[in-house]
Amino acid sequence: MKRKWDLKRLIFNISSLVDLGQEVTSSKGFNEKMKTTLYVVTGMFSVPKAALFVYDSNHHRLELLTYKGLREIDGISLYIKARHTKTFNKNEPHNIDEIRNNSFYEHNNNAFKKLRTKTFIPLFAKDEFVGAITLGKRLVRASYLQSEKDVLKVVANQMAITLHNSSLFKKLTAKVSENKGLYENMRHIYHDTIQAFAAAIDAKDAYTKNHSYRVARYAVAIAEELEWKEKDVEGIYVAGLLHDIGKIIIDSKVLNKSEGLSLTEMSEIKRHPHISYDILSKIRFPWKDVAHFVRHHHERVDGKGYPDSLTGTDLSEGMKILALADAFDAMTTDRPYRKKLSLTEALHEVKKCLGTQFDSRISNVFFRVLQKESKGETKEAQILPHLDKDFDPAIIITLLEGIIAELSA
Amino acid sequence: MNNFSMSVKSANDIIVIMPNGYVNDLGAEKLERACEQFFDKGLKKIVINFSDVQFINSIGASVFTSVVQKTLEYSSVLCFTNMKKIHRDVFDMLGITKHVRVFKDERDALNFLKDTE
Repeated sequence: MKRKWDLKRLIFNISSLVDLGQEVTSSKGFNEKMKTTLYVVTGMFSVPKAALFVYDSNHHRLELLTYKGLREIDGISLYIKARHTKTFNKNEPHNIDEIRNNSFYEHNNNAFKKLRTKTFIPLFAKDEFVGAITLGKRLVRASYLQSEKDVLKVVANQMAITLHNSSLFKKLTAKVSENKGLYENMRHIYHDTIQAFAAAIDAKDAYTKNHSYRVARYAVAIAEELEWKEKDVEGIYVAGLLHDIGKIIIDSKVLNKSEGLSLTEMSEIKRHPHISYDILSKIRFPWKDVAHFVRHHHERVDGKGYPDSLTGTDLSEGMKILALADAFDAMTTDRPYRKKLSLTEALHEVKKCLGTQFDSRISNVFFRVLQKESKGETKEAQILPHLDKDFDPAIIITLLEGIIAELSA
Repeated sequence: MNNFSMSVKSANDIIVIMPNGYVNDLGAEKLERACEQFFDKGLKKIVINFSDVQFINSIGASVFTSVVQKTLEYSSVLCFTNMKKIHRDVFDMLGITKHVRVFKDERDALNFLKDTE
């Protein structure tokens, strides 16, 4: 008969350990998970009152995590010094009488009474003290058989690991959050610095105030319409801001000259994309191809651009976007040598240069963005706010519809 | 998913609770809370009819240890009826049945409680 009961007990214990395994690996929230594991333990050993504590080493306290069958114990905690934890056998059940002479018990005498503690189990994950379980009186015999103590130790070990993992995860999450904050701060500083550079570039040329900023915004509008990844959009934004950085070392007199440029002056100005590249290629940007986009923002699809006369597949999408954004802003703003074009004239100019100066697909995307902005279909307009308001939106919409239809044919 | 539910009926001063399904997660705590509420109201005779209980694991067993504990604290009478052998064996092993009256069916339990003060 005894053997039959031993076998039943064994099966119940194994089945309960399976329950425990399922609970600790479940996707439940941490508190619910720990409460359920406490129920598993109390169910295995028929204990109606129990509590689970987590160790707070900073405050030398065991803080209540969850409990069962107890009343009026919310907020209860146990004072415990590191030296107390050295007196325990790891993950082993201690009869409360065994620790009654320990100063840990003396410190927490009242709390143990409230908790109706008969058994105290210190939880250790490897050598680290992580928490404790208090168990009240059992419905069966008061003491635990050695075999039951062995099972309790296995269960305690599992619960200790779960507590420890949760603590590690919390620390990791806090670290990630802190790093994310630092990264965001760095990013803002980085962007502010780049914007300051862009302002410095544009200040050199009286006619190109805010040119870099507008080019950056136009490039972003096109890249977003092309559904570029967020990080790549950020990259082309930075490329737009810095594309003329090479002008810093070009003579201001040449940049601001209102009459025709000599061949020498022209070739001086044409050096700026290369200089920009030389400056930017030394910087390890977190975005790819910034220096390359900048180097080739004066290339043309027919290979007649500079500095490298690239054409075909040698021209990346980013280069083509930046080239169009830069040229469009040049068309729609006053220059020392000519007055700006109206929006209608600029659109005709872009259309006229398709396949020679500008890429047809990228230009078509640009027209689409402008059309959406004109119809108020975008969340935030990125091109129209920077243009003169002397155009009739209805005319622009009709014009763009015509151009898009023609390009799609 | 919670596969536990329960229904309650009363006959005079006797409460009959019929748990249903799987008593294997914290959803079964509602049974514990319901018993406590009845005890708080002064009702001291509770019958738990297990005929629709499919499965009880260690978490379910824990819930019943709490119900038994409360029965003892409130000096009440708790009867279990219609138990499958496998559930009875687990409750015997855990010492739960030492503190409750076990009957073959609900009618027997009600007859017993009628004559109990």
